Amino acid sequence: MDTSRILYIAAFAGEIMLQSGGETYRVEETISRICTSYGVKDADSFVTPTGIIISVTDVKGTTISKVIRVKHRTVDLDKISEVNDLSRRICAENLSLDFVEKALDDILNNTKYSNRTLIFASSIAAGFFTLLFGGNYKDFFVSLFIGAVIEVLSIALSRIETNAFFINAIGGATASFIALLSTSLGIGNNTDKIVIGSLMLLVPGLAITNAIRDSIAGDLVAGTSRTAEAFLTAIAIAVGSGIVFTLWIKYFGGAFI
Amino acid sequence: MIGNILLYSLYSFIATFGFAIIFNIKGKKLFFAALGGGLSWFIYLISLQCNMTNVLSFFYASVVGAIYCEVMARILKTPVTTFIICTIIPLVPGGGMYYTMLETTRGDINKSLSTGLNTIIIAGAIAVALVMVSSITKLITYKKRKK
Repeated sequence: MDTSRILYIAAFAGEIMLQSGGETYRVEETISRICTSYGVKDADSFVTPTGIIISVTDVKGTTISKVIRVKHRTVDLDKISEVNDLSRRICAENLSLDFVEKALDDILNNTKYSNRTLIFASSIAAGFFTLLFGGNYKDFFVSLFIGAVIEVLSIALSRIETNAFFINAIGGATASFIALLSTSLGIGNNTDKIVIGSLMLLVPGLAITNAIRDSIAGDLVAGTSRTAEAFLTAIAIAVGSGIVFTLWIKYFGGAFI
Repeated sequence: MIGNILLYSLYSFIATFGFAIIFNIKGKKLFFAALGGGLSWFIYLISLQCNMTNVLSFFYASVVGAIYCEVMARILKTPVTTFIICTIIPLVPGGGMYYTMLETTRGDINKSLSTGLNTIIIAGAIAVALVMVSSITKLITYKKRKK
């Protein structure tokens, strides 16, 4: 039994999961499930949102370990669910190591929705959230536009590897600016409904839910760091739109808010 | 009135559907994740209609939404997170955050503090609901495993 190969595969599976936004306890579970189902005597892992540490001991008593630093995190719920499925199948069906490695490679290179679909989806989401929070049909069309702009911006900014907080601040600023401009030109009616609806795209929903789920599972390090992430994201959005609002009130007066 | 509630739930369904695409959910899970968003907003509006307070309505909506997620995750054999994130999205207090920011830029500290506190209380209600449902689910599945 090749322990270092098993360690490599378990680490690879964990890395894919953590990068896609999985909870840390799920990543730890997956890693130890893969290791034990291949007959490794002792496998322990410590996962935080930014890195993985694994250490395994084989039957002869040799211990090897691996550290993986996760720098880039996105939200890809499909990958989490596929890696989870795979690890359960390893338990039940005794798959070969070659097969698992190939399957993980396939999962990593899975097709995502095209950029055009993403832009369309976020435009729809922003528009209908504006309707949901009480905007009228004029606000709906403004939000459709803002949703598309925010997504285009965040795709372009993440391509040049800008950090998440800057993207959120820019997104918040752009949304508020377009909303203020549209209401002052008479295209939209309620600035607040437009801004709330379109900023829902940036709100840290994943960080909040993962912070709660990690804390329940007893992962205090992961729980607190995700809480900090959620708060910082919210503050970044508020700073972005706050700057635009302050400047607007200063130069054009508060008549349109 | 009920027609209005259903219309707003439909809005929530479509908005959550857009979110589910952004989060790269595929296949029939996409539909059920979006349905969770519609359901949670429906419960929120219904309990507001029954004269519950705002915070309590958020709490009930998250409890029902979370139960829906736990059940669907077991039926479709997917991690619970896939559904929970989409179901909770409409309930995240974006409006509260916005008004807190607005009052802060206007310089009204009292109002910004009270709206900010209210927002945190709503977020706390959602968190408590998620903790409760997930812990009770663990109790139930533990009992099943023991049998």
